[in-house]
Amino acid sequence: MNDQPPDDQPPDPAAPITRRASGVLLASLMLPGLAALVPGTATAESAPEKTTIAIQYGTYDDRQPGYDRVSVRAPQWYLQVPVADDWAIAGSWVGDSVSGASPRLHTERSSASRMSDYRKAGDVKVTRYLPRAALSASLAYSDEHDYTSRALGLEARWSTDDNNRTWTIGYGRTLDKIDNTASGLNTAIDQHRRTHELMAGVTQVLTPIDIVQANLTRSMGTGYYNDPYKTFDQRPDHRDAWIGMLRWNHYVSQADAALRSNYRYYTDTFGIRSHTLGVEWAQPLGRWTLTPGARYMTQRAASFYLDPVLDPQGRYDTGATLASAASITGSKSFDPRLGSFGAATLSAKVGYAIAPETAISVKFEQYQQTSGLRLGGSGSPDIAPLHARFLQVGLTHKF
Amino acid sequence: MARWRSLRFEFTAMASTCSIAIDGTDEARMRRAAAGAIAEVRRIEQKYSRFRDDSIISRINRAAGGMPVDIDAETSSLLDFAGQLWTLSDGLFDITSGVLQQAWDFRQGRLPDAASLQRLVALVGWQHVERDGRQVRLAVPGMALDVGGFGKEYAADRAAAQLQASGIGQALVNLGGDLHALGPEASERGMPAHRPRPWQVDIQHPRLPAGTSSAPLASLSLARGGLATSGDYERFFVRDGRRYCHLLDPRTGWPVSHWQSISVLTASTTAAGALATIAMLKQEDALAWLARQGASYLAVGPDGCLSRDPAAAGA
Repeated sequence: MNDQPPDDQPPDPAAPITRRASGVLLASLMLPGLAALVPGTATAESAPEKTTIAIQYGTYDDRQPGYDRVSVRAPQWYLQVPVADDWAIAGSWVGDSVSGASPRLHTERSSASRMSDYRKAGDVKVTRYLPRAALSASLAYSDEHDYTSRALGLEARWSTDDNNRTWTIGYGRTLDKIDNTASGLNTAIDQHRRTHELMAGVTQVLTPIDIVQANLTRSMGTGYYNDPYKTFDQRPDHRDAWIGMLRWNHYVSQADAALRSNYRYYTDTFGIRSHTLGVEWAQPLGRWTLTPGARYMTQRAASFYLDPVLDPQGRYDTGATLASAASITGSKSFDPRLGSFGAATLSAKVGYAIAPETAISVKFEQYQQTSGLRLGGSGSPDIAPLHARFLQVGLTHKF
Repeated sequence: MARWRSLRFEFTAMASTCSIAIDGTDEARMRRAAAGAIAEVRRIEQKYSRFRDDSIISRINRAAGGMPVDIDAETSSLLDFAGQLWTLSDGLFDITSGVLQQAWDFRQGRLPDAASLQRLVALVGWQHVERDGRQVRLAVPGMALDVGGFGKEYAADRAAAQLQASGIGQALVNLGGDLHALGPEASERGMPAHRPRPWQVDIQHPRLPAGTSSAPLASLSLARGGLATSGDYERFFVRDGRRYCHLLDPRTGWPVSHWQSISVLTASTTAAGALATIAMLKQEDALAWLARQGASYLAVGPDGCLSRDPAAAGA
C-alpha cells in the first residue's frame, strides 16, 4: 500500500455551519462571546479538550500468481492528551510482525527471497496552540533488524483573520541506517541515508461548502538507496523529489455527504514520475458513516530500471537478462517498484458511533497493480501483477 | 468510565417555555453547566427587557428626547449589531419600530386608524439614535428601543457559549423555538474520524392541518449552530379574508405578508433569528437576499409550498 495519500486531511465543509460568515452572521459574531461558538472562527486551531485513545488492528495479504504473502499486523495504538490549556501531546506505537517475501523480480525469477521480521515504530508529537496558529514538533523512530529510521519534524500553521485561509510550513529531517549484517549477506553494513524535507501548503475555504488544499514538498536525500537483498541493484546515491498535492472537499447538501477528492504528483531524480487520483464519498447515516473510495495511480519507471530481455518467442530469457545487467556499469535495478505500472484501489469504510465519544470502524481495501494499468499504454514488460487486500478494524474513545 | 446520560432542564424565561438538553458522562458537571446557562439567560432577560423598569433598555427609553445615557460594553455591542442589521436590511430591521405595536391590537383584531399609525411611524428610525462612544440618546421624544428582535436569540447563543466554556460538548439550548446546538465538528483530527448523531429538530407547521395539534412541518438535523424561525402565525388576526401578523414594515407601520414562515440555519442563533426576521420583512425578495447572505433556510410560501436553499441540511 505504498500509494496511500497522507492522512492529514483538510476538514470537510459541513452544513449547517456556514464556514464563510455572511454579513449578518459576521456581525453577530462580534457580539461578546459568540465567536467562540463557531469552530474555526474564534481560534483557527483549538487545543483538544479531551484525551483521545485509539487502537487499530489490521491484516494485509497480497499475492502474485502462484505466490502468497501474508502479514498480520499487531495493534497500533494512538494517544492524544491535552496538557494545560494550550498544549497537546500525541503519540503512536506499532509493533508489526511481518512475514513473507519482498516482491519478486521479473515474473520468471523463481526464487523470491523470504523474509521474516519484526518492526517496532513509534512517534511522539508536541503541539502548542496559539490564537489562530499552532506549532508542532515531532520525533519518530522505527526499527527493524536491518533498518533503523529516526525522524524529526517541525510544523507551523497559521490562519488569516477571517479563518478562511490557513498556511502551513514544515521541515523534516530523516536519518536512516541500513545494516543487514545479521542476515549474513554482508552486502550493506552500516550504510546511511539522510533526507531533508521542506513543505509549504495552503488550505482555502472557497465557499461554505468547498474547501481546497494545495501542498508542495521538496525532498532531498543522499546516501545508500540500494536494495541489499537484490542482485544487480545499484542506485544513485542521492534522490531529490518534488511532491505536489491538491485536495478538494465538497459538501453535497442533497445527500448530507462529503465528497473528498485528491490528486498527487510525484517526480524524482531517479526518473520516476507518478500521478495519483483519489475520490472518497463520506455518507453519514444516523450513527453510521459509510465511506466508499477509489484510487488510481500510474507510474513511469526510473531511468535505470532494467526491463528483462525476452527471447524471440517473447519468453523471459534469464541468461540474456542477467548478462545484460552485468554489462551495465552505472545505476541499475530490477526492482519492480521502480518500474512502469498502474495501480487501482477500491476501498470501503464503515464507521459506527457507539456513543458520541466512542466509535468503531472497519476498513477494507482491494489493491491491484499491473503493467497494463499504466496510463497511456503498457508499463514495464514482465512485471507480475500484484493483488493485495487490507482489512483494518479500529476503536476510538475520548474522555 | 462513567455512564453516558442525557439530561433535560426545563424553565420559563422571556415569556417562553425553554429547555436545555445535555449529553455527557459527568452528571455533576452537566448540572452545574445547565445552572450557569440558565442564569445567563435570566441575566440577559433582566438587563434588556423593556417590561422591567430597571433594565438598561427602559432607562434609555425614559431618556428619549433628553440627555444621553451611559451604557456598558455589552449593550454597546448589541446596539452596534442593531445598526449593522439596519444597514444590511436597507432599513427593514429597526429596533426602534417596537412602538408600532401600540397601534395594533391583535387580540381584538382591530385595524388601526391612520392618524395614530402616522404618529407612531414618525417615532421610528434608527437614524434618530445618536451614539457617542459609551453613550446613547434617542433624539425624538417618545422613541423607544426594543431588542426583542434578537434578545432571545442572543441569550440562546450566550447560554450555549456558557455550556461550552463549562466543558459541555453536546447540548441543545431551546429558548421558545430559538435553538443553539453544540456538537463536535463534522471532521475531527485523530483516527478514525466519526460523526456523532446530530440533534433532530422539528419545525412548527405555520398552518396546522385540520384535526392535528402538533404535526411538524419538517424535521431537520442540527449538528452544531443556530436555528431560528420567524412566522406570520405567532400573533395575528384575520379580517375580511386578509391576515394581519405582528411583523410590521417600519416605513408604513403595516404588517408584511407573503411568507407563512422562514427558518434559518447558521452558525449563531442571533444571526439565524435576524436573517429569518429580515427575510420575512423582505417579502418577495427574501430568498435572493438570504442566498446573498449565504444562509441555509426553509421557507413556506403563501401557497404553503416549501422553498429551501441548495445547501440546507437534510430534512
